[in-house]
Amino acid sequence: MAELFEYLTEPMQYAFMQRALLMAILVGLVCAVFSCFLVLKGWSLMGDAVSHAVLPGIVIAYILAIPLSIGAFIGGLFCAVATGYVKDNSRLKEDAIMGIIFSGMFALGLVIYLKVQPEIHLDHILFGNILGVQAADLWETGIICAATLGLIVVRRHDLLLYCFDQAYARAIGLPVKLIHYALLVALSLTIVASLKAVGVILVIAMLIAPGAIAYLLTNRFSHMLLISSVVAVGSSVAGVFVSFYLDADTGATIILIQTFIFILAFLFAPTSGILRKKIVSQNS
Amino acid sequence: MDELLLPFQYDYMNKAIFAATFIGAVCAMLSSYLMLKGWSLIGDALSHSIVPGVAAAYMIGAPYVFGAFFSGLLASASMGFIKAKTKLREDAIIGLIFTSFFALGLFMVSLSPTSVNVKNIVLGNILGVSDEDIFQMVLIAGISFFILIFTWKDLMVTFFDESHAKTIGINTKFLTILFFTLLSACTIAALQTVGALLVIGLIVTPGATAYLLCDRFGQLMIVSTLIGSITCFFGAYISFFLDGATGGIIILLQTIVFIIAFIFAPKYGLVAAKRKIKQASELLRKTREGAV
Repeated sequence: MAELFEYLTEPMQYAFMQRALLMAILVGLVCAVFSCFLVLKGWSLMGDAVSHAVLPGIVIAYILAIPLSIGAFIGGLFCAVATGYVKDNSRLKEDAIMGIIFSGMFALGLVIYLKVQPEIHLDHILFGNILGVQAADLWETGIICAATLGLIVVRRHDLLLYCFDQAYARAIGLPVKLIHYALLVALSLTIVASLKAVGVILVIAMLIAPGAIAYLLTNRFSHMLLISSVVAVGSSVAGVFVSFYLDADTGATIILIQTFIFILAFLFAPTSGILRKKIVSQNS
Repeated sequence: MDELLLPFQYDYMNKAIFAATFIGAVCAMLSSYLMLKGWSLIGDALSHSIVPGVAAAYMIGAPYVFGAFFSGLLASASMGFIKAKTKLREDAIIGLIFTSFFALGLFMVSLSPTSVNVKNIVLGNILGVSDEDIFQMVLIAGISFFILIFTWKDLMVTFFDESHAKTIGINTKFLTILFFTLLSACTIAALQTVGALLVIGLIVTPGATAYLLCDRFGQLMIVSTLIGSITCFFGAYISFFLDGATGGIIILLQTIVFIIAFIFAPKYGLVAAKRKIKQASELLRKTREGAV
């Protein structure tokens, strides 16, 4: 027991590990809450697109010497809005348009990056750098998380209705367009907040896995929010400790733990797990 | 003038330009189908999913093609399995699987960082790949090209109208599997050219651009192939002067071509649409005046 205690306290002697843990919990929480909406709405690809599209925003913000988060946010939002515009004005399917726009924006960011050679590491943008998080980053992420969570909690009924049944939401007079853009803004903010921790690519996993796991375990939305938050925060904490002892990439470890939980839920979920289905089909 | 021809004096540049052009052409052929079927996300997912396979192959010194193929296959199988067994939406399943595979690749690389350069996998590095890898890429592209030349019509019928294809005696199941095998193979080849993150551009953008320009599928495929090969040729060529970033430049060129088509396409472009609206309203005004 004492040994276990030591395993848990040893990493926490380092200030950078404390900061990493706090960051992982913050990011896990906000992504978890958001992922429930994304999974229901079928917006997983939107998360993918917006997260790639922040790269040119970051690089251009660096050149203009404005805060990188603002550039990232504008980049992400631009991608989402441009996708909507091209969709309304051409005969292409939405998935193809997203693919074109986010790969184009990512390519633009990459070319400018290699030309300008800024001081920020490309690895840190792509894969995150949670062990290098500073106090200022924590504050920034904390504020963005609080704002996003606040928006979602206050407006959760409207958002939920919008995600489930857009036509009905419009019929009862909700400002559907406004909600749509509010969700996009919140999505971009969430991605920007998570960038420092897990990077452009793995944030997609953070935005899908917790919601998908919770979706397998329950049918009630309030339970889904709770389960997804617990899963995400739990895997973030576990990921930080495991990666410390394995000397592995922290972001990747967190995602793999989430994947592991997904596999468990997939196999053993009380009503929809494949084991349960097997037993039911055998009994009948 | 001499300066412009400089890249062709280097053996490695000639090889890289040739390989990139060829792969760009074959990916563009495939993109015509992907775009029509709304399968763009699948290409993106495949390219991310093969990262752990490539990393493992480099770690143990095996041909990267085998590792890539194995992990791509595993990813597709698990997507299909989860889709059949749960009520989750398809896009969530695809997103879940490909990010998990990608994380696995990153995890493996972070455990032994010396053996693999993850940047080369993620961003591609055609100017620096070995002759052996170039040979593998060109071989893949060549075989895929010939298979597509002989089966493009059957594939078209299969994807447009499966029941009709069946009645005229086409083995649709075999062709679908064949198509996805070709797609995985070309994704693997494209990975070396533009990197895992930009493969999606190579297999979506040319087809989508051609779709704005043509109505017939045969034309669409030719235009798409032309766009794919020309942008890859110039992308690889220009990257010589910019010290790398081949993938980024290729995709950027394709995006620029797309934007031009989106605005100026004779029938489906923005300008044409505006003109049509104007003509229609003028016609309406004239008929109204006539009626009065």
